[in-house]
Amino acid sequence: MLLTDEEKRMQAGDYGPGIQRAMDLLVKLGDSFDAERLVPISYGHISYDFCPEKFWDLMTEGVGKTRHRVTTHPSYSPELWKEWGLLLADQWAGEHERKLKRYKELGWLRTETCAEYLLGIVPRKGDIVSMGGSCMQVANNSLFGARVDRMGILVSLAAAVCGRTPLMGLLLPENRYASHMVELDDLDVSDWTLSHYHCLGYYIGDQVPGFKPVVVNGLPANLPFDFARALVISMPTSGSVTLAHVVGTTPEAPTLEAALGGKKPEHLIRVGKREMTQTWERLNVWDNDRVEHVVFGCPHATIDEIGRVAALVEGKTIKTSLLIGASAPVEALARRQGWAECIEKAGGHFLPVCPSITNPFTRRDIAGDNQAKSAATDSARSAHYLATVSGVKVFFGTEEECINAAITGTWKGEIPKWK
Amino acid sequence: MEGRDTKMEIRAHTVSAGKAEGEAVVYNGPFSFLGDLDPATGKVPAPRHELEGKSLVNKVFVFTTGKGSSGGDFAAWAAKENGNAPAAMICLESEPVLSGAVIAAEIPTVDRPEKNVFDLIKTGDYVRVDATAGIIEVVGK
Repeated sequence: MLLTDEEKRMQAGDYGPGIQRAMDLLVKLGDSFDAERLVPISYGHISYDFCPEKFWDLMTEGVGKTRHRVTTHPSYSPELWKEWGLLLADQWAGEHERKLKRYKELGWLRTETCAEYLLGIVPRKGDIVSMGGSCMQVANNSLFGARVDRMGILVSLAAAVCGRTPLMGLLLPENRYASHMVELDDLDVSDWTLSHYHCLGYYIGDQVPGFKPVVVNGLPANLPFDFARALVISMPTSGSVTLAHVVGTTPEAPTLEAALGGKKPEHLIRVGKREMTQTWERLNVWDNDRVEHVVFGCPHATIDEIGRVAALVEGKTIKTSLLIGASAPVEALARRQGWAECIEKAGGHFLPVCPSITNPFTRRDIAGDNQAKSAATDSARSAHYLATVSGVKVFFGTEEECINAAITGTWKGEIPKWK
Repeated sequence: MEGRDTKMEIRAHTVSAGKAEGEAVVYNGPFSFLGDLDPATGKVPAPRHELEGKSLVNKVFVFTTGKGSSGGDFAAWAAKENGNAPAAMICLESEPVLSGAVIAAEIPTVDRPEKNVFDLIKTGDYVRVDATAGIIEVVGK
């Protein structure tokens, strides 16, 4: 890879051991993908809580305040976890606090969310952003037209430390045209909700090998933002799709031809009632109908989503634990609306955590013997990680079915009757 | 066992340098370190997964490509720190999360093998991977 003189000094250790190690990782990764050079990032996004402490210390050793903006992924709240009776919360406190202290020293922003675009941190079309978190990678690429390559949590820290990323993959315009095309066969989407789009995205992600860009054709134009988001963020759960064009909705897909770059698609994926039913069934992993936990906010909740949940639980007492994953600024807005209090009064909680991978209620290594053994969600991404990472039984259904489960403690969700 | 006693070499592309060897576990599908491998045990926990319950510790894992969350690399690092990572990995075509994971966790890995590894390597075969040189050697049972 061609490096500038400055980058050679970084690699040689002139700027300290952290930057040297980070450069080594970026160069090895770039070389393995035949990247020509590194390019500067508009901003970087990392996760300090997901990053193993030893790796965090190695990469940030000797690093001073960076000139470029760096933001962070959802974070842990061990003090609140403890307050809520999650028995092993203390074990998470020390490492979290040490890394957070260092994070603040670096001058980086405590956004603590997987949906920064809800905070006004929105990349412009063509901006190069390095980030961990496949959910925001695919959202920023697809919904805003930013140039974001698929990247892991460790590599995103190296890129944030160096302010650079290898010029490869989806940063190259010629790699952004869709090779895989999705056509809806016999589906009327007029009554679809968020979970229907989650389910469709989860099916598509499973059908696409590698991280080939996808175009979804046949959905109504100008799809509401929340639906488009649910569709694209579910894909890198069952697969690795990092860029999904939605014809008539996303910025690089004004037309099908534009998304395909004037070429014919290499593969056609057809989705009909049968595929949707099978996917919906696959996301449900349970044997009896007892629900112990309900979770929203994967990806982090919008203010509208919180408003709907508040309206459904108002004046009720819920039987399960209820968690809403949301950033602190969106939670603050919900509080000003009176919605946060309404949800808390019913028994719900807010956290800026990843409610799927690190849901403190379902993770045995956080909740201890108070672990919830089953959870309901309207997010395919959440369903996937609750089942695989927490190992609990999972109910996947609509927002309304999940709220009903919270109120009754029983699952009455049904496979949708596709139109 | 016909043809199995002769050693066979397959050239491949370096993803993460290093050398390792072990018994093969072959899975003709995509893999994520986050969700498909429990870093505390080195076993595959995914419900309804073909490899459910199988250990990948010190194995040469043969699969198609990476998938899933970008947390795959920290999970790989955790598995390696716990001594529960595969010894080496062979896939058809890597992708950046998987590549970053195996480079950071120093798991010797190759991709783009020049022959069909799913035909030539079976679960239980003994396999040597020289990822630096880009050579897979199938020793046989």
